[in-house]
Amino acid sequence: MTGKFFEPQRRLDRAALVIAFGLAVVAGVMLWDSARLADLGGYSGVGPASVPRVVAAVLLLLAVWTGIAAFRGDFPARPRQDPGPVLWIVAGLALQLLLLHVAGFSIATGILFALTARAFGKRNLALTLPVGIALSFVVWVVFSQLLMLHLPAGPLELLFFQKG
Amino acid sequence: MKQFVLASLFAGAIALPAAADYTIIAPANPGGGWDQTARTMQSVLQEEGISPSVQVQNVPGAGGTIGLAQFASQNKGNADALIVGGYVMVGAILTNNSPVSLADVTPIARLTGEYEAIVVPAASPIQDINGLIEALKADPGAVSWAGGSAGGTDHIAVGLIAKAAGVDPTKINYIAYSGGGEALAAILGNQVTAGVSSLGEFQEQVKAGTLRLLATTAPERIEGIDAPTLKESGLDVELQNWRMVAAAPGLSDEQRAKVTADIETMVKSANWQKQLADKGWSDTYLSGDAFTEQLQKDVTSTEAILKDIGLVK
Amino acid sequence: MGAFDFLMQGLVTAADPMMLFYALIGVTLGTAVGVLPGIGPALTVALLLPVTYRLDPAGSLIMFAGIYYGGMYGGSTTSILLNTPGESASIITALEGNKMARRGRGGPALATAAIGSFIAGLIATLLLAFLAPSIVKVALVFGPREYFALMVLAFVTVSAAFGDSALRGLTSLFLGLALACIGIDQLSGQARLAFGVPELLDGVEVTTLAVAMFAIGEALAIAGQGKVGREEVLAVKGSVWMTKTDWKRSWKPWLRGTAIGFPIGAMPAGGAEIGTFLSYATEKKLTKHPEEFGQGAIEGVAGPEAANNASAAGTLVPLLTLGLPTSATAAIMLAGFQQFGLQPGPLLFATNPTLVWGLIASLLIANAMLLVLNLPLIGLWVKLLTIPRPWLYAGILLFATLGTIGANPSTFELGMLLGFGVLGYVMRLFGYPIAPIVVGLILGPMAEQQLRRALAISQGDWTVLVQSPIAAVLLGIAALALIVPLILRLRGKGAVLSQLAGDED
Repeated sequence: MTGKFFEPQRRLDRAALVIAFGLAVVAGVMLWDSARLADLGGYSGVGPASVPRVVAAVLLLLAVWTGIAAFRGDFPARPRQDPGPVLWIVAGLALQLLLLHVAGFSIATGILFALTARAFGKRNLALTLPVGIALSFVVWVVFSQLLMLHLPAGPLELLFFQKG
Repeated sequence: MKQFVLASLFAGAIALPAAADYTIIAPANPGGGWDQTARTMQSVLQEEGISPSVQVQNVPGAGGTIGLAQFASQNKGNADALIVGGYVMVGAILTNNSPVSLADVTPIARLTGEYEAIVVPAASPIQDINGLIEALKADPGAVSWAGGSAGGTDHIAVGLIAKAAGVDPTKINYIAYSGGGEALAAILGNQVTAGVSSLGEFQEQVKAGTLRLLATTAPERIEGIDAPTLKESGLDVELQNWRMVAAAPGLSDEQRAKVTADIETMVKSANWQKQLADKGWSDTYLSGDAFTEQLQKDVTSTEAILKDIGLVK
Repeated sequence: MGAFDFLMQGLVTAADPMMLFYALIGVTLGTAVGVLPGIGPALTVALLLPVTYRLDPAGSLIMFAGIYYGGMYGGSTTSILLNTPGESASIITALEGNKMARRGRGGPALATAAIGSFIAGLIATLLLAFLAPSIVKVALVFGPREYFALMVLAFVTVSAAFGDSALRGLTSLFLGLALACIGIDQLSGQARLAFGVPELLDGVEVTTLAVAMFAIGEALAIAGQGKVGREEVLAVKGSVWMTKTDWKRSWKPWLRGTAIGFPIGAMPAGGAEIGTFLSYATEKKLTKHPEEFGQGAIEGVAGPEAANNASAAGTLVPLLTLGLPTSATAAIMLAGFQQFGLQPGPLLFATNPTLVWGLIASLLIANAMLLVLNLPLIGLWVKLLTIPRPWLYAGILLFATLGTIGANPSTFELGMLLGFGVLGYVMRLFGYPIAPIVVGLILGPMAEQQLRRALAISQGDWTVLVQSPIAAVLLGIAALALIVPLILRLRGKGAVLSQLAGDED
């Protein structure tokens, strides 16, 4: 939403400046969007565009404030971050999202499970992947078959059950 | 190992013969009117043996247009797929500029319907619908109407009333609430001049004497309801908030006839009639060309009134 | 029919064997999930909400009550044993509780927390039962302007969750308000900030944002620390039971905690953590063993835990009578009610008395069931915490995404989950509080709609907002609530408060 933040933290100010810029962009988008709204305020005088404009205006002020704080180095020291594990989890979530409707809940979520475990130090995918898929499958069975929650089914689920 | 034993147990338990299995899309969250309609259909279709296995899937969002779009694009020629919809969809398609309309599916039949009611708080000085219309004519801004979401059935009803009374529909002071309960609270609390919603929403309060029922949008007086229709009061307004079932686009005439026959069997069953009575829905079953014609009329008039109110350009 | 008859009727509804079973499942699930480190009641309820989707409203609410109390209790367990509070209201519990556990007195600490929670829950639920209906009568007087004034008041309380920086607190809040603008504007039917994406027309789902911000953001933040160490788990040593002295030192703090917690929870501007803090301060002042404070004084666990639970029941008063969520958990409960087409508000008691009294009765039953279930199982819950982190967080993400997929199995929704998860991570990294963004998303549309309704009814006359005495008083309280902490902060006394609020996530 507000850009990438995985850059090294030697320059504290720069990251905060990026945030300030991101806030300004959000405010800009809101102002642009509200400009094309028809004014249907009716009797209240406050239309659909009014509140987004106020929020955008405050966000602009906050962007300026953040910018000032960035120059003054007012932001607290950030904990040292290791981007590797974070990216593993993000990759797991992204893969789950992409595979969910193709491979079904169990396989997609099993991959997320394995990659998250990888991020926390369990590197052996040959172990974590089957465990993740098996666990997700049990969860799928419990929730979709017992609790009637609609969860996407894939080849694995259809192997055991005729209908998702 | 354990989960596989468990899984095969489940598999055995739910294994069913493959036959004409319907999947019904309810384009709304669980619990709402369309969802309830879909689930009632599910139980009746199954219990009456019309379809051995019926699945209901919720695809919520944007007045049903998200479910409608998904349904139309994914089920071309699939005679087993059904979608529940209603009058609200007609308005939502127009106000949301939905790329998919009811012309992109195969409407089968209108199933149930409810009429709109116009009420005022018991403490209101307005005694009848003529009093309300006079107030509206005198100063449209001073008459605030509480009802459901903007562009919905309630809003359309108010627009139609204003138009019939010769008041500019863009001048109505309509206050949209998210749910019937919230609008009802505003009316009970004397926050607004009048309220518009389906009759069922108000019935208990009218009985309790906390609301005064002024009129309904039915074509003729409803049995057991002590209120005139708008038509009787000289306003040419008739509005029904109906629910329907539609099939996928691209069906052959035979397929269409088969689905229509199945739905007719369902509607004619004692089971369906009992379910309707339990839920307080009235049977406004209409199918075939008569329904298609009615639907076309509703689309045209809705588009006209939404333009008059200023919600659709 | 009087309140007592309604309550009895509710108890009969809730005493149905099936309902008791749902309550048991709720309590078990709630405790099982709530006991996981870093997962507070709000997240527990959010994660388990989908479980209740397919039950009928009565059964679902009862399971809900169980989950609510279970999650609350599970949170204090991790506070005491692992020093990882699941939410802001358990932070005080960790202060003395974890010290007790380190001295091998984890058993009595967990016991006084459990029994204190039970007693507070019992008294507060009864107060809710008998007080809420009278508040309902006042609630009908509430029109758009009064509601708007209430929203303003609620916004002011958010500032308590701002942490140590007004800039970052406000930024978080306004990002939430910006997200709140997405979707069809209810009053005019126009699409805002949807950019032609149909999935955005209904706006951002509160549960999606909450799960992403809390569960995924937290997992990313902890993963990013890089250290893959396991936290030390403290076994329960010595007697698991409370001694006679423990009882003697606990009962007064339980009652005082309840007396402090309930009214503060019931006040829209209250908030559970304020109650626990006041209770802790009270006990510290009244104790006969001041030297034990900071070293593991049982009063410091008993009082705040009672206050925490009493305020949780208090939170239900505005939620049930006004439809107003005053805590993250209440907000998620509100979303839960709406799933069933129930609009909590003035008429919930009138239109759904069986359900409301069933809920109150099931809160009583869930509360008792919690005690029955947990006292003997303290040792077992602790074992949940011995799960190694890779499995633990993999499991947490599994369940977090399950909740979203179950509610709406669309790729777009999962994309939002991922996006907001990364946003939550970045916000944590830069010291932004998480709670305000969620609160902004919830309160934003409410405040906007009420304001516009009030102005539409008055035909654009802004003075109408202060013409009603209730609205004027509420706005006055909001102004005071804004100014007093500022003065306190200036005098240095706000430091502790803001520190507490800052650690909320």
